[in-house]
This record gives sequence, C-alpha cells and structure tokens, in this order.
Amino acid sequence: MAVSEATSTSDPVGKSVRRVDVFDKLTGAATFTDDIQFGPNLYHARLARSPHAHALIKRIDTSKALEVPGVKAVVTGEDAPELVGMYLVDRPVLARARVRYFGEPVAGVVATSESIAEEATRLVEVEYEELPAVFEPMDAIQPDAPLIHPNLGEYEVVPFIFPEPGTNISEHFRLRKGDVESAWPECDAIVEMTFGLPQIQHVPLEPHVSVALWEASGEVTLWTSTQSPHAQRDLIAQSIDIPHGNLRVLSPYVGGGFGGKAGVTMEASAVVLARAVKGHPVKLRMTREEEFVGTTMRQSLVAQTKIGCDAEGNLLAMETEYYFGGGAYNDYGVNIARAAGYSCTGPYDIPNVKGDSCSVYTNLPIGGPMRGFGMPEIHWGIEQIMDQLAEKIGMDPAEFRRRNCVKTGDTILTGMEMPAIDVGACVDKVTDAIDWDKREEPSAPHKRRGKGIAIMWKAPAMPPNPGSSAVVRFNEDGTLNVEIGAQELGQGAFTVAAQMAAQALGLPFEWVRVVGPIDTKYSPYEWQTVASRITWSMGNAVKAAAEDARRQILDVVAETWDENPEDLDIKDGVVISYRSEREQPLKEMVVYGLPKEEEEGWRGGPIVGRGSFMPTYVTNLDFDTGQGPRAVVHYTVGAQAVDLEVDTETGQIDFLKIASAYDVGKAINPDLIMTQIEGGAVHGMSSAFEALRFDERGRPLNRSMVDYRIASAVDVPKEIHGDYVETPLEDGPWGARGVGEHVMVQTAPAIANAINNALGIRFNNLPLSAEKIFLALQEREQQKA
Amino acid sequence: MGSHPITVTVNGAKERLNVQSNETLLQMLRERLALTGTKNGCSAGECGACTIVMNGEPVNSCMVLAVEADGAEIVTVEGLAKDGQLTLLQEAFAEHNAVQCGFCTPGVLISAHALLERNPHPTEEETKLALVGNLCRCTGYLRLVEAVQAAAEKAAPSVPMKGDA
Amino acid sequence: MYMPSPGLPEFDYVKPTSPAEASRILAERPEQARPFMGGTDLFVRMRDGLVRPETMVDVKHLPGMQAIRLDAEEVLTIGAATTLNQVAGHPVVQTRYPLLMEAANSVASYQLRNRATLGGNLCNASPAADTAPATLLLEGRVVLYGPSGERVLPAEEFFLGPGTTAIQPGEFMTAVRFPIPPAGSAGKYLKLGRNKAGDLAIAGVAVLGFPNGTTSGHSFRIGLASVGPVPLRARQAEQALAANPPGEESFMLAAEKAMDAAAPIDDVRASAEYREAMVRRLTFRALREVWAQMEEGK
Repeated sequence: MAVSEATSTSDPVGKSVRRVDVFDKLTGAATFTDDIQFGPNLYHARLARSPHAHALIKRIDTSKALEVPGVKAVVTGEDAPELVGMYLVDRPVLARARVRYFGEPVAGVVATSESIAEEATRLVEVEYEELPAVFEPMDAIQPDAPLIHPNLGEYEVVPFIFPEPGTNISEHFRLRKGDVESAWPECDAIVEMTFGLPQIQHVPLEPHVSVALWEASGEVTLWTSTQSPHAQRDLIAQSIDIPHGNLRVLSPYVGGGFGGKAGVTMEASAVVLARAVKGHPVKLRMTREEEFVGTTMRQSLVAQTKIGCDAEGNLLAMETEYYFGGGAYNDYGVNIARAAGYSCTGPYDIPNVKGDSCSVYTNLPIGGPMRGFGMPEIHWGIEQIMDQLAEKIGMDPAEFRRRNCVKTGDTILTGMEMPAIDVGACVDKVTDAIDWDKREEPSAPHKRRGKGIAIMWKAPAMPPNPGSSAVVRFNEDGTLNVEIGAQELGQGAFTVAAQMAAQALGLPFEWVRVVGPIDTKYSPYEWQTVASRITWSMGNAVKAAAEDARRQILDVVAETWDENPEDLDIKDGVVISYRSEREQPLKEMVVYGLPKEEEEGWRGGPIVGRGSFMPTYVTNLDFDTGQGPRAVVHYTVGAQAVDLEVDTETGQIDFLKIASAYDVGKAINPDLIMTQIEGGAVHGMSSAFEALRFDERGRPLNRSMVDYRIASAVDVPKEIHGDYVETPLEDGPWGARGVGEHVMVQTAPAIANAINNALGIRFNNLPLSAEKIFLALQEREQQKA
Repeated sequence: MGSHPITVTVNGAKERLNVQSNETLLQMLRERLALTGTKNGCSAGECGACTIVMNGEPVNSCMVLAVEADGAEIVTVEGLAKDGQLTLLQEAFAEHNAVQCGFCTPGVLISAHALLERNPHPTEEETKLALVGNLCRCTGYLRLVEAVQAAAEKAAPSVPMKGDA
Repeated sequence: MYMPSPGLPEFDYVKPTSPAEASRILAERPEQARPFMGGTDLFVRMRDGLVRPETMVDVKHLPGMQAIRLDAEEVLTIGAATTLNQVAGHPVVQTRYPLLMEAANSVASYQLRNRATLGGNLCNASPAADTAPATLLLEGRVVLYGPSGERVLPAEEFFLGPGTTAIQPGEFMTAVRFPIPPAGSAGKYLKLGRNKAGDLAIAGVAVLGFPNGTTSGHSFRIGLASVGPVPLRARQAEQALAANPPGEESFMLAAEKAMDAAAPIDDVRASAEYREAMVRRLTFRALREVWAQMEEGK
C-alpha cells in the first residue's frame, strides 16, 4: 500500500494520509532529546555502577573522583535518598546501603565533559560486602532464598497491588472461577507443561537520554526521551518532594520506546544529579551497553500451566501459575503480573479457572513494561498447549481456536462481560492468507515446512482511571493547532490526532498541526503513551476538543445568521447552512469573530476547544478470586499464522510468511495499522530468538549489539501479510481501539507451533536458536537409533 | 592528547575545524557542526544510525576519527534534500510509510542513497544486503526495501531491451 | 566486569609519512603505540578498556597500503589497509580470487566494510576472522615492516593464538601477497551466524579445490574460522580428499575429519558441540559446491 501526498484531504478518518512527522524525519530535522543544543553551560553526567548482583555498600569514597579537574559534583545514595516507582515505590534513584543487580547506579558524577565524568566514575571507591544472590524466580520464591527487599512492607503501594513482605514476592494475583478440581475428571484431554522465557530488551534505536536543569528558584526542567512525560512529572515530583508545578518535563520525538521508555527509568538520576549543580543543565545518556544493563528489561517468566478439554474440543478447565522474574525492582513490573493474572486464560472461554500470577524479585536487571505487557509471555505457553489439545482430540488447531475463543458477550474469567470483538474473523483471515489447509512441500530435501497459528488478547493494563486531554486552538487562517500530551514514538500518534481533529471539526487534514514537543507546562495531561491506549483514549479527548470547538463556531455563526446550530455544518473549513445555504469560511472568524449583522459590533472570538476522557467504569477485583464487574476497559484481539521451513542440517529457519489480523474497531489510518502489524510481526519474530544472558554471578554476557542480536533486513519473512477486522469499540473514537502492542503478542508461539508442525518437536523455553533446533533434531535421531 | 586542524567539506560547505585525536567523525558532526540528523545508536559500528557518506562511500561515522576526515567530502542526511525538495528516495520513503520513530531513518537513507549511486537497479536481495548494517526496530524492514526499489525504478525506469516492442 | 566508556579514551594521533618513521614510533613505545588502519575492532576494544593505546599510528596512508596490484610474476599484492569493499570490488580479486571476495563480503555490513581492512581483519587474529581461512588457502603471505626492514611470512605462521600474531615490536603489516591460484581452482566460503548476514561467524568454512596430480586427481584445501584458537587448515581432511575420488562419500569423510580438526569452545554465540556439527555440515556443503563449480568449469 502506498500513501500519496494530497493537498486537501476531506474527512481523513479512515484514510491512509501521510504521516505529519515524515518530512522532518526524512531530512534530519526531527529533534530527539540528544539533539537539543544547550550551549557551553551544559554539564555531563555518568553513573558509577555496581560490579555485584547483590551486596551491601559498606563505604563510598568519592574524594578521588572529586579531585579530577572538571568534576563539578559527585552524588551518592546518601545525598539522594529518594525512592521512585509507578505502582510500588521500591526503587532508589541511586543505590543506598544495598545493591540488588549488576550495574545498579551507586554514584553519579557531574563534570564539564562526558569523558571527564566517565573518568571520575571509575575513581569512585566503593567497598562492598557481597550477599548471596538469586536469579531464577523459582529459586527466589523458596523460603530460604536471599531476601532482596527486607523492607518490602514499608514501601508505598497502590491499592490494587499486594506484595508479600518477608518474601521476594512483590505481587500475587489470584483468579478463581468455577471449580477446576471437579472439572478435571470431565476432561478427555489434558496437557500440563512448564514454559520459560528469559529477560529480553526492547532495543529501541535511540538509547535513553535525559537532560535536567535545577534552577536556583526551585524550578526543575527535564528534557527526556520518554513515553511518559506527565507520569514522570507526577512520580519524580513526588519522589524529590517538589510541587508538581515546579517540574516541567519536555519530551521531543522518541526514537522507539516499546515500553522501555515508559514510567521512570534513568531520568530521576539526571534530576538528582542536577540538584547538585543548580543552574546548569546536566545531560545523562546511556551507552548502548548500558541499555542492556541499566534500563528496564522484559521480565522473565516461568509458567506452569494445565489445560483440559472434552472430546468435542470444548475447553473445560485451566490451572496456571505464572512466576515473573521481575529483576531487582518491580515498581512497574508488579502490574505486569497482575495483568497476566486477570487475563491468564488468554483469549479463551474456559468455565473453570484457577490462576496465580506473581512477580518475584531477582538479582537481575530491572524488569519493566515491554510491548505486550505480560501477554507475549503468557501466550507462549497457552498457545502451545492449545495446539496440543487440538492434536490430542484430533481437531484442526484453527478450528479448535474458533470454537473456544472468547466471543462478544461471554462472561470472561473475571466475571466481566466481553465487549464486542471478533477473534474468529481474525482466524479466518490469517488461515486464508497462508493457505492453512494446504500441505506444502519444502524447497529442498533437507528442509521441513510447517505452518502454525496462534491467537491473542490484550487489555490496556492501567490503573482504573488514566486520563487523556486535548486542546485545539485556531490560527487566523483557519489552520488548527492540536495540543496533546500523547507522545509520537513512531506509531503515528500525531498523525492520528490530526486526522481525528480534522474529521471532527470538518477541516482538511492538511490544516491541522500537532503541537510538539510534549511539554508538561503547556501540553494537556496524558497519563502515558503506553498500553495501546492512545488512539482510543487520546482520540476521545481530541474528538471531544474538536467537537467543543465546532460547537463554539456553530453557535457564533448561527447567532449571527439567526439560524439554528443544528442546521449548520463545517465542510472543508467552511461553515455551511443546510437551511439558508449560506457559507462562512473559518478563516479569520475563528480568531477575530464575526461582525454582527443585526447591529454594530462583533460576536465570538478566538476559538479554543477542550476535551478530556477518562474511563470511569473499571472496578476493583476481589482479592481472593479476582472477580469483579469490570476488570479492564476492553480487549483487542487478533490472530497470526506462520509459514516457515527449517533446515534440518543446521537448524536455521526461513520465514516464508507471517500473516496477521487484528480487530481494530475502526482503522483511523489503515496504512499506519499495517506498519504496526508488519513491524510487530518482525519484532515478535526477532524476540523469539533474543535473550539476555548472565554468568553465574548475575553479570551480563551479551550487553552489546554484537552479541544481543536483533533481526536485520536479511532475516525478515519473505512476505508479511496484514489485515484487520472492524468490530466497533463502544467507547472508541469512531469505534477505534489500539493495536500497537498486540502485533507481537502471539508471534513466538505461532512460530513454535509452525516448528512443531514441521518437525514434530516442541520447544518450551525461549529463546529459540538454530543451535537449539539442530540439537533437538539430533537428540531425536539418537533416540530413534 | 593532540588537537588537529582539519579542513572538511560537509554537504558542500567547507569547514575548518580543530578536532581532538580521540574525537569521532560522529561527534564532530553532531557536536561541532550541530548536524544532529546523524544519530548515535551504539558507538560500535553495529546499528548504522550514524551512517554518512565519506568520499562517495557510506561509513559508520562512529568508526572514523574526525582527524581522518581531513580533506574529505562528507554527505549527511541534511545534505540530501535541496531547498526543501525531497529526493526521489526520501519521497519514496514517505509514500511507502517506511518511517516510524525516525531514529534509524537518516542512516537508512544514507545507505540506500549510496546503494543507488553505485547500483541504480539493485535487486531486492541486494537492497536487503546493503541495509544489513542499519538496524530498525519499528518497521520490520520490508517497507524500507520497497521504498528503495520504488525510488530506483522512478529514478531510472528499467527500459525495455532493444528490440522489445 | 567493565562497562564500556561512551567515547574513545584519550590518545595521540600521528600520521607518519614513511614506513621507517611508522616503525620507529611503534618501536619506541611498543606497549603504548598501535598501528591504526580501519579501527573497526580496535575502537570497540578501546571502549571496552581491553586496549589503551597512547598513540595511534595511522599507517594507512603510507605508500602502497591501500593499493591492489598484480605484478609480472603473477603475484597479487593487497595493501594491508585496503578496505574489505575495495578487496571484494577489485576486478582481479573478483575474477581470480573469488574465494577472497566471498570472505571479504561476509564481514559485518557494507558500511563497516568501507572501514574494515584486510590487514586489520588478519592482525586482530580473531579466531572468527572471516578473511583468514581464505588467506590460508590462497597461500597468502603477510608482509611485515619493522626496524630491520621488510619480512614476509606465510599466513599460517602469522596466527599464534586468539589476538596474538607474529608481529614483533615496531612492526606493522603492509601487505598480503597471494600467488596466482592453481589453474582450474574453485572456492567457497560458507559462514554460519545468528543472523543470515552481518554476524560474527559461529563457524566458517572455506574450501579451495583444483585439479592436480594427487591420487584422486584433485586437491582440496579446507580452512576453518571460529572453531579453534586460530584460523586453521584441516590437513587430514585435505589428505583424505587427495587420496579419494571426489564425491559424496569422500566429502562426508573429509567433513568428519574437518570436524576432528576443529577445537571449538562454548561461548555466548554457540556451544562447542554445535560448532563441531556445523563444521562438518558446512565443510560437506562447501566441498559439494566447489566440486560442482569445478565440474562446470571443465
């Protein structure tokens, strides 16, 4: 599909208009945080990091670092005792008394150059007393495991998260529906397996970077690459105890986030370092190697899952335990375990469910949100078990999914009624796209061909009341500025905002400007650009703001013409009357108003529309059962099918095709949805082969792009097919719901199912690799022999 | 630790600079000339976000010392479009929605630009190979390849062989 | 465990105008001064804190360092600082040394190959150096320039261990010389990485085959990358092929022997077990491809 440049696009919603950010991004003009010029007043900071995975800090001596010419300040946890966190406030900005993972910042140095700061960090002397460390969640839950957070009971925590002080469990969510024990005997087929996934990294092309300025007046400005300008204002202002109004977070374009730039990661460190050198902006940027050590990672997971069905293929019961390896701090990760708990069945209607989902502290890098937020992790096991159940009862895996997938109006596992969606239509689309029923020959005798399918669901995982807001302001010529707090991460948020504002107001798309960079001092509130919630939530706010402005315009014109506003409309930037057929261009009147017709004087004035949106209907869930009327705002669902061949002599995979379909409610910009679907398929494919590796002391073994490989241009499938279904979302703008994360949720299990189809071998643990596949084939040969 | 006077032509403009021994060309472009279109994604020659053209060939500017650029002709992403007019390649990237977050885009454009300079009609496979050193986490790559192929076709449409009707 | 610095550590940069001057600077402070060509591995190791040169001696502009020429005696001399793209793109290399072209093209990415040099790839003495097996099989001889002038060394004697070469204090590599490959020769470099291209080799196998007076009537040379402390020749496999007529059976036997010659380690990229198996598989495939080329060329 191609996007052509038009000069005037009416009614842009539903059209593949050109991205509003594309010119700047193609010419090098697009500003990212590290591109902002600060002049010679700028200082640079580096962090000294722990060489141990778990240790007590006995003593820190910063004197040698302070002696280095050009060093302006050295800050340790003693100077910066703050904790920070989204759901559970467990994370020190700089380690104090104890380090809990290799690479944890123990001190920060501010200097006139990055290299001086770097040199000085290596002169910070820290005396440690090493403690026993624990790396696997199943080890960390043992009663005799080293306790990573002895003060767990003292941390601030939101009311829907339940840490278990005295253990390493930072959240335990329980789901109880029906009675699994009485259901097992009814099952004709049961599959019970343990699945595992390692920590992986987001690898946005832009590393994390922040610049903080603490003025003598107490005003603080933070320029940063983040998905969460407003959440950072909230969390950091709380943490450093300054009025929210004194903290201004500015965030230009973000060079990829994928969850890795959600909430607060390294930004608070820049702020506490800037506090030590008031009046100077301080830049702190992560090297690529630090990205793999000192930011956040997708959590690891051990899933012990048992699912059963009857002979006709009806799912009857599921029992599952999820243990997320949350790393050293679980400030954000606790909610991933919760989300995995209340969605623990995946997109299936199962009458009897017992689910326990825990996040567990380990002495590894900080676990945090990543595209999919727990869903890629749990679908890895669920979707492989579903294939095996289908096989056991002799049913086609696609048919098995059509039969059992969650449907509109179902009472799902939490007791909530499923809003309108269509999983089955997605299954149909992807099976058609890869000729599911056709057995195809491999391209060479030593290759095996296989097809696999997987379906998914995901709800935005959030507090019950995350808000969005938007303001629209007209310029004299009728062009419109749309102010939002949602961030442009590449997904197209600005373009979609412009489309929606133009549509709701009756302007050509080209008349709309989206105001960036996001600046909490001027941009309206947006909780965070996460959870695939922006098209839906921000979209509702933008639509409301545009409608508010429209109402104001029509009122002025109607009064001037002595007509009824209901008879008026705005088309292509002109107010028209269906009754009198009069026309009034928006130009000038949206700022200067209109001269009265009945007398001397003027009417109207600058038009400013405001809109906000917040879901008000999400309820608490019962602590013991996870039951409640409305667990989440909605779900987005989809299906993926993979066609691949395996080289049995090397274990290498050739991806022939990945086909995806999602129920997006309404495609606001169809081609941008395709870009998410295609990019997500490759991200999902790549993620199946990725893993952070550690030695026996928790030290990273592949903290670079040399050894943490992501897919490159030659690794991608020969064909990526994208499609969507449009079952309108009740409270979505034009019916739209988000699709940014869903596009990679089920890719890994779809691949695993295709490999099984090709080879008859199952892989329960990620990462996959050519080596692993080859060795498994060899082992099978040996067993046969 | 020495500093070295160099003369370098960047996007057609001659610059006289004093650069440090350990300064990379990437640092020179971004920090001395404020040509921030060229990005630093890894400082290790792996990601390709810092790719620029030096004396006609693409290189990772993080892997070149600034002092080595003495006398060189450099083209960065800022040097592609002239007077606000996108090149055919940039236009194709816009048409094919081959841009998402935009951080890899300058390096990808430079690699693709250099590819088309040396091979005006690359095959899809050749284009993929030419982009191996440009990592992208957003697009899934296929649209990058489509855009390059489309630009090649537009710049110099494959003409029918003599004798073809 | 060291975390890399954001930038390159401090050093002096010097650009000598003669080999003698370069050698003198290198000899004066052998621990602190380093010859500098492409820098693609060196910069990474400097950021990693593994090497800390005080002086970088830019030798790539010395006469002949970036030249490729075929002389009257049919010896191809490639300047040590010739980039891998220049090597792979040279008409003589393309037509007469296609094995070297393949090996050069398999390194990293196009833009990195505009910096990475043939000499640098060899001097790093990484077991995974992609051009090393081809250099061994093509009987490359490295030219070293030092305080006592020039000396020439067979490539096989150049690699002493991981990161260790026969380069003496004050010496640097100026060129690699290749005799004209045997008449009727064909070559193939097969490389297995975690990505389909651009990665370091988990295992790399080069094969050069040509007709001659052995029992089988053919000689095959086999070179291995990334499966031992140094790039190596699989001599016993080569002998088996000299003794047995080319075909699936002898290729299989040779592949087994190549596997025996490998002494890989487990590392973050792959296990020794997988590497061994891949040496066998890649050797077999490369032999088959080379043989097919030879048959075609007859």
